[in-house]
Amino acid sequence: MTRIYKTLIAIISITAIAVSCSKDVPVDEDGLLITERQECFVSNFELLGSDFVTVRAAVPVIDTTAQTINVTVLFGTDLKNVYPQFTLATDCKLDPKVTGRTDLSDLANPKKYTVVSGNRKIRKEYSLNIKFQ
Amino acid sequence: MRFIKKNIAVLVVFSTLLFSSCQKDEYVVPDPVSDLTNDCIKRTIGPNIVSLPIEFAYAMAIPKSKGKLVSAQVEASIAGATGTYLEHRSYFTNTSGVDVPVTVGIPSSNEGKATKVTFSVDTTAATLRYFYVIPEEARGQSVTFTFSATSSNGQTVSYKMGPYTIAKMGIKRNIAVSNGNLAYVSIENMTAYTAAEAAANAGKVDLVYLYRATPTTFTHALVSPGAESIYLPGVTLPSGVNRSTKVRKVFNLQDRNLANLQFGIYVDDKDLQEVDLTDAPNYALGLRAEAGTWVETADKKYKAYIFVNSVNANGSAVISMLRYTL
Repeated sequence: MTRIYKTLIAIISITAIAVSCSKDVPVDEDGLLITERQECFVSNFELLGSDFVTVRAAVPVIDTTAQTINVTVLFGTDLKNVYPQFTLATDCKLDPKVTGRTDLSDLANPKKYTVVSGNRKIRKEYSLNIKFQ
Repeated sequence: MRFIKKNIAVLVVFSTLLFSSCQKDEYVVPDPVSDLTNDCIKRTIGPNIVSLPIEFAYAMAIPKSKGKLVSAQVEASIAGATGTYLEHRSYFTNTSGVDVPVTVGIPSSNEGKATKVTFSVDTTAATLRYFYVIPEEARGQSVTFTFSATSSNGQTVSYKMGPYTIAKMGIKRNIAVSNGNLAYVSIENMTAYTAAEAAANAGKVDLVYLYRATPTTFTHALVSPGAESIYLPGVTLPSGVNRSTKVRKVFNLQDRNLANLQFGIYVDDKDLQEVDLTDAPNYALGLRAEAGTWVETADKKYKAYIFVNSVNANGSAVISMLRYTL
């Protein structure tokens, strides 16, 4: 009996040591992989209405230097109920997150979105400027 | 030693369980039908809406040696509306997939809650379809059905179906609207009015249909009379028409009942109960065929789903609606 227990303890110990030796994967507070990438920009932008159809009247103008996104929306767009969609550089993430229907109706105070690079060290704040057609 | 014995006992029990669980069940040939029997399926799916039919297929059979079918009957817990009938024809599907009718009885008659067909041919098996047109009295209630068949040897069988909940919402299909003419839509009455009629029903007009070619994204629109004037260009509202109705555009929600049985999506009571239009605008521009709008009336008495069946660039459209009383 004592031999069986000893063997069991030995197996568990070896497994524990093996697991503890595996390399930790760096993840951020959202469980997303932190990489070494430094790119930090918005590459494309889309704005959908409550019917999930685009409300853009033209291609958005994204200025990565001035960190602005200028969008012209269709006449009559209900900006209280829109779905913004950002396309970001590889491994980047957006802050605040877009979780669903968003209110962008306050045109005088453009909403700000921050792009965070893959290595989570660079943050760039973009201003979302909307105007009607 | 005791420990090893215990382990062996456990092992034996598990092995026995394992072997017994793998035993194959012998297939038993079911007994042939020896008496009058019946079966039923409900053919319609989706919500049960007042004025629309619920369709069933009722099958009955008896061995030839025992007799033939004499009659079939359906009794609903709430009498069906006009148009309720039990088919006097049995259908088979031909090689092209087309249902071909064969007359087996005399056309059905309704007596109160019951609908009956008497067989006129010598037959031992038939499947009859039953169309129950949901009456106004059944709105929001549950309905059950008892199907029964009688054979020449005096036997009777019956089959219960339901209960089925009848939706609270109402439906109105194919309402023609046109720019400047039949432009005033009433949710309460589920109809479109002219300006003169709208003035007479001012408190019931919830939306104005209008078509504008410019700006190009305006096109077909449902705008509440209480909306800002920029959304009602060139419109002079009839006196007293001023309600502000909440409207939210939807796309790809082609309710099967509203879209004339073209799609497999259904809007039900629950959808209308749960849709939150608190922050919805009071206009919907740029509507096109197969688009839709959720609507809530200014007095919060009704919620509705309006589906655009078709649009015409001459400034007209056909809409259909489901209306739920809150």
